[in-house]
Amino acid sequence: MSVKEMPQNWEPKILVFACNWCTYAGADLAGLSRLQYPPNIRILRVPCSGRVNPQFVIRAFQRGVDGVLVAGCHPGDCHYVSGNYFTRRRYLLMQRLLQYVGVDPERFQARWISGSEGPKFQQVVTQITEEIRAMGPNRKLRDAQ
Amino acid sequence: MSEMTKKMQEIAREILVKGEAEVVIGWEKGTFWYLSPPAFIDKPEDVQRLVWDDFCHNNLSKYLVDLKNHEGKAAVFVKGCDSRAFNRLLQDKQIAREKVVLIGIPCPGLLDQDKAKELGKNSDLPKAQKCLDCQYPNPLVYDYYLGDKEALNEVAATKEAADYSDVAAIEAMSPDERYDFWTKQYDRCIRCYACRNVCPACSCRECVFDQTRVGWIGKANNSSENQFFALTRAMHVAGRCIECGECERACPMDIPIMLLNKKLVKDINELFGEYDAGIDIEGKLPLGHFDKNDPEEFM
Amino acid sequence: MMKTILKAKLPEMLEQLAKEYKVLVPAKLEGVSRFAAYRENLELALDENVTMPPKDIFFPQTEEMYKFAAKDQSLEIEEIPQDEKLQVIFGVRSCDMKSIDCLDQVFLTKGFSDPFYQDKRDRSILIALSCVKPMESCFCTSMGIDPQKGQGADIQAYDLGEKLAFEGITERGQEVLNKVSGMFAEEDAAIPPMGEFNLTANVEGVPEKLKNMFDHSIWDDISRKCLNCSACAYVCPTCHCFDIASEVRGEDGVKIRCWDCCMFDEYTVMAGGHQPRPGKKERVRNRFLHKLRYFPERYNMLLCTGCGRCVVKCPVNLDITNVIKKIKEA
Repeated sequence: MSVKEMPQNWEPKILVFACNWCTYAGADLAGLSRLQYPPNIRILRVPCSGRVNPQFVIRAFQRGVDGVLVAGCHPGDCHYVSGNYFTRRRYLLMQRLLQYVGVDPERFQARWISGSEGPKFQQVVTQITEEIRAMGPNRKLRDAQ
Repeated sequence: MSEMTKKMQEIAREILVKGEAEVVIGWEKGTFWYLSPPAFIDKPEDVQRLVWDDFCHNNLSKYLVDLKNHEGKAAVFVKGCDSRAFNRLLQDKQIAREKVVLIGIPCPGLLDQDKAKELGKNSDLPKAQKCLDCQYPNPLVYDYYLGDKEALNEVAATKEAADYSDVAAIEAMSPDERYDFWTKQYDRCIRCYACRNVCPACSCRECVFDQTRVGWIGKANNSSENQFFALTRAMHVAGRCIECGECERACPMDIPIMLLNKKLVKDINELFGEYDAGIDIEGKLPLGHFDKNDPEEFM
Repeated sequence: MMKTILKAKLPEMLEQLAKEYKVLVPAKLEGVSRFAAYRENLELALDENVTMPPKDIFFPQTEEMYKFAAKDQSLEIEEIPQDEKLQVIFGVRSCDMKSIDCLDQVFLTKGFSDPFYQDKRDRSILIALSCVKPMESCFCTSMGIDPQKGQGADIQAYDLGEKLAFEGITERGQEVLNKVSGMFAEEDAAIPPMGEFNLTANVEGVPEKLKNMFDHSIWDDISRKCLNCSACAYVCPTCHCFDIASEVRGEDGVKIRCWDCCMFDEYTVMAGGHQPRPGKKERVRNRFLHKLRYFPERYNMLLCTGCGRCVVKCPVNLDITNVIKKIKEA
């Protein structure tokens, strides 16, 4: 399939790296609370947002996701004390590097979402899905040309 | 023979005769007049192979990683950039300080090999780009010093402050222009990994790009895999790159690799405060620690 | 009498041929010289040999072999359609012509015929181009190659300075020349003599001598500065090692064949994790023994054509002529 043209009935595909202790619980709460959010996301549970290796993100773009969200505990709340502070540094650099090679900033985002923030999870996912829907499919870094 | 070459040979002989080290790593003359590749000297009678000239580009600290499990001691000649690489490897506990004898050389900046090849011997050759960008021409750490001891920092830095105008030129493009630019650059990458293997910041025992069986990277050479390689490597050397520019010199396809590395150096400086890798071995590593007041942007 | 054409007219001739054939020419693309499909305003690179050899025309760095799909319990295999057009490759230097001979030995002889290679090879008409002035890294004559006569060429072209002369050698070559015969002048042309070589290597007796040098200490010495990258192998016109891998996405997959290099860890590592060539010494030794001993033993020719690409591109100047010298002296 050529990725240059917009396929019919295209729906954005978004990968969410959710930390086990906060964001995943937040997503769970959103579900338990029957909060509606777009079905365009795929959640990948990681022990900590600090587990998100830069390679995971590039690989996701290679294999055809249209956006990546990294989400973890708020600063100070990390289950492992400081994992998310390291994520923050790495993410800040990675975000700029991806932009530098031409990836649009909307396609790679990060948020703090705690276990009690079901509504925030809903709101973030909805917002990102709409942003990416407006941008269309991602062709950059993809391995299908 | 230049004065510095003479001094190099003398000190190498002395070190080998006294048994201070088993091997001296320096440079020797290569196939052409503009090549001065690395040389390993084990015997005092071989020291006359050593030279110091305008083409001693290789960062010799890289070879210390090979000697990690070696019993004896090695002596290494270090320019400014080699000494930064040494410090950075030391910080990563890749080498033991006591197993290395460092011989510092103040470096006036080396000449561009490609231009030398093109223009010939009797022409006015420009300095290599990496040397034009250099802020640290004098060795930062050494046991012996081959310059004038009275005048430390005798070579003035070519650049007083870092110059990121080349990075800024790319930042000024639109996202699509940037993507096209980098795609063009990395489409010609043959993935020979010369950049990785010559790089003193690349010290992993097992590299992620050597694990195609595991599936970290595909074996195929295409835009996507090549960019995966480029970006992953850039992130891996972030905070480690000492800007010796060897990757770019070694690249047989002339890909401007330093444009990626410099971008990360620039961002680290802007985001986490001033930091040049391999300068202060007591200093904190930008990706090895954090500050609670780090910029909060998208989170 | 030879058929000559002004160099300035060459694009016109190539243009004409491109109507009938796929025409590949030495060109400078994004700062790297290599063989590329002819198109208007392509920057031809005829002053020096190209950085990337013609190897990848016949043996691409990445080649899709076939596609497959696993559905339920069955497996479907889909062949990849091959290009059927004849291709004319213009401007192959003698060293690279010899390298094609080396590749032919590997991919087409001894009872093994590689269909992927054979297909591309059969569709190719080779126009060799003579050299006048060697580059400083050239040493083809030391490898027994005539820089002005390409072995196995369909057409031999000669560089006369302002002009090019063409000589049809095979029937296929003659046919190609006939297509553009109106563009040529017929004249007696003297082929300028070849310039002096800067580099030489004396390989006499080296393959035999290497038979007893597997455990020699020179390998420690030679390999020390090697970085174990594959710049030498990937710019080499004769290095032909490959690895076959599958790329699978869900139920679909494709088998790909990619260049590989004896400098890499995964090249020799065994299924159980054992690494028979663990370090620089073993890998460098293998590279040179392959070029200078194993290949001559099997095919009666060296696996080096003296093109000098590795001498120029090696980041640590591990020069094969120097290695040969050390072997002789050992």
